[in-house]
Amino acid sequence: MATYEGMTPGTSSGGAAVRGRPFNPLTIDEPRRLGLTLVLPSIIIVFGFLIFPFVYSLILSLMNYDLARPQDTRFTGLQNYIRLTQDRYFLNAVVQTCIFSFASVALEIILGVLIALVMNQHFKGRGILRAVIIIPWALPSIVNASMWSWILNANYGALNALLTQLGILHQYKPWIAEPGWAMLMLILANVWKETPFTVILVLAALQGIPETLREAAVVDGAGAPRRFFALTLPMIAQIIMICALLQLVWSLLHTFELVYVVTRGGPYNSTDLIPMRIYWQTFKALRFGYGAAMAYLSAIALLIPSVFYIRSAYKATVE
Amino acid sequence: MKIRISLLLVFLLAGASLFAESITVIFPKHEADLSGAFAARVKEFTSATKIDVNLIQMGWDDVNNKLTAEMASGGSSYDVVEFDNGNVAAWLGANWVEPLEAYMPKGYTNGMIPGLVDLFTGADGKLYGIVWNNDTRFFFYNDAMLKKAGIKAPPRTWDELEAQSKTLMSKGIARYGLAGFWKAEWALVNDWHFFVYTYGGKIVDKKGNFLFNKDPNTLAAVSEMVKLLKDGVMDPASLTYDQEAVNNIFLKGDVAFLTQGIPGIMAYAQDPAKSKVAGQVKVGLVPGAKPGVSAALTLPEAYAIPKGSRNKANAWKFIEYMTSKETNKKLAQQIGILPIWTSQYTDKDLVKLYPYWADFSKQMASAQGLSVLTWYNNFVDVCIAETQKMLSGKTTPQQTLDEMAGLLKDYAGKP
Repeated sequence: MATYEGMTPGTSSGGAAVRGRPFNPLTIDEPRRLGLTLVLPSIIIVFGFLIFPFVYSLILSLMNYDLARPQDTRFTGLQNYIRLTQDRYFLNAVVQTCIFSFASVALEIILGVLIALVMNQHFKGRGILRAVIIIPWALPSIVNASMWSWILNANYGALNALLTQLGILHQYKPWIAEPGWAMLMLILANVWKETPFTVILVLAALQGIPETLREAAVVDGAGAPRRFFALTLPMIAQIIMICALLQLVWSLLHTFELVYVVTRGGPYNSTDLIPMRIYWQTFKALRFGYGAAMAYLSAIALLIPSVFYIRSAYKATVE
Repeated sequence: MKIRISLLLVFLLAGASLFAESITVIFPKHEADLSGAFAARVKEFTSATKIDVNLIQMGWDDVNNKLTAEMASGGSSYDVVEFDNGNVAAWLGANWVEPLEAYMPKGYTNGMIPGLVDLFTGADGKLYGIVWNNDTRFFFYNDAMLKKAGIKAPPRTWDELEAQSKTLMSKGIARYGLAGFWKAEWALVNDWHFFVYTYGGKIVDKKGNFLFNKDPNTLAAVSEMVKLLKDGVMDPASLTYDQEAVNNIFLKGDVAFLTQGIPGIMAYAQDPAKSKVAGQVKVGLVPGAKPGVSAALTLPEAYAIPKGSRNKANAWKFIEYMTSKETNKKLAQQIGILPIWTSQYTDKDLVKLYPYWADFSKQMASAQGLSVLTWYNNFVDVCIAETQKMLSGKTTPQQTLDEMAGLLKDYAGKP
């Protein structure tokens, strides 16, 4: 039987509850009952929207649960997971997701740091530029995706118009018809949207570096590259790490809209990232069990950068 | 006193709204319905029956996604739903929709185009949907372009289409012969079916056994898709186009042929505000593998009553009203939708308004629907990826069909 161990006599107002006595909610004193009542909605929400779906989808992932073929519904254990390791389209999605994520994060970090360094200088219009730079990040993902879909349009796209007018292209190019170009364009679209986040964080870190340190380095005769690598970079490395990990997690989670609107995973699955594959298998093919298994494997993959992120964030806080 | 009367009125109205009959209906916005013709008919239904309708209209994909989640959860949010012909096998397999015999007057479908009724009839012989959108696709060509190039008649075969396209392109009359909606989405598989049908190809038999990888006509059909692209007759950006993009390219005058045009294209084409080819477009028979062979794809959408509906009788009243001959004619007159009733193709008012419907009716005899399979969505997934790979020159047509069969082997023999 559950016992009420949360309180000991004399430690709070809950004098009625005594260690070892059976738990009875009716005997809880007023303040504690109020506390429980106040946290109850949160408990219900956490259970309803987090724990229940988590457990339910785990059960689903262990079943052959195809809505279009209910007669085949049965418990199959780890069969969905085993099948995933042999699913050519899923394995391709893993590879494409890795290419997309690592390339996006690398570009976002390099560009983000460079832009932050420029914006850390004193120049006219710096305030306006800081406000403007955040716009891509503030745009809803679906708006960003639609915008890039138009930019890349084979017949009316701005990119084709620009490159043709500059004389770089002689005729319009269907950018998303070729696998390499399609992936590159998705990466660029993602970098365009996500880089401002890195800029803001790195800029904040840069502004935390004492000016006296920089001045001392100048007096010691250190040039700009030396100052950056010996002084600035070590001092913002923690923030860069946090940005990289966050961007990595987001590039795995937040790319569905971009892929769905711009390429739909094509041509021939060359931009078919994991969220798109999960969507297709679950909501198009109606294979809820198989889709749940994919989602679980992705969640486990996401845990790795998440653990590193939490450790980095904790380390940064302690330091 | 005034306050009391006002309060009384508020209570009366609130009470009345609680007891008023209402249904919730969801279906996609018809591409030709730029004037709210469907919404107007729904209002008429409410006036006639006193049944309020909460009408939800959005894009096809959005409706489809919304309904999948709703139906899978066994919800009761909707009383009348969009039932696409591509979903027939899956939805009937999942037991999501109600057979209509219990609500429908006997003989209600007499006089409807038989193919449209058959597509929504289950293996148990029961009818599960009444078509609201007779979405049969037709072959349109730019007659002015052909005449300018000295071509006397539209193509009857794919070889003729290719030859005519090359003439038009070499004379600078058209940028390309045609464009395909071959982006990595659902519609690509519609086009795949279309090509297979024009070659008389077979995809699966009634038991779900694969024919597509053994049938020479299917192989010839997919080979034709590759050939059109390779020979430069098909717009090379086709792998990035959806249906709307292809329609726009035709209406812009960039290509001479539109092989799978929606019926409403003719109305758009005649409107100079929406088209650069006003007065130049005509309807022909879809080219086939050889002269005399033609086929079209029909993608009808129906109204159905979900199992979870709590207002099934009223839902049927809505379906009956919206698919009646009178409403169907009004919609045809107003926005040019294709009727579902055979008699309306000879209706004097409609024939006067749409003389080209005579050409439509010739094509409709050879219209076929998509494959009816409970695993159709998996077929689509595989078909999109492998066909795009083939169109990009990475695999041969035979390799593509074999690869598809291999990837779908778990479903072989399952209808």
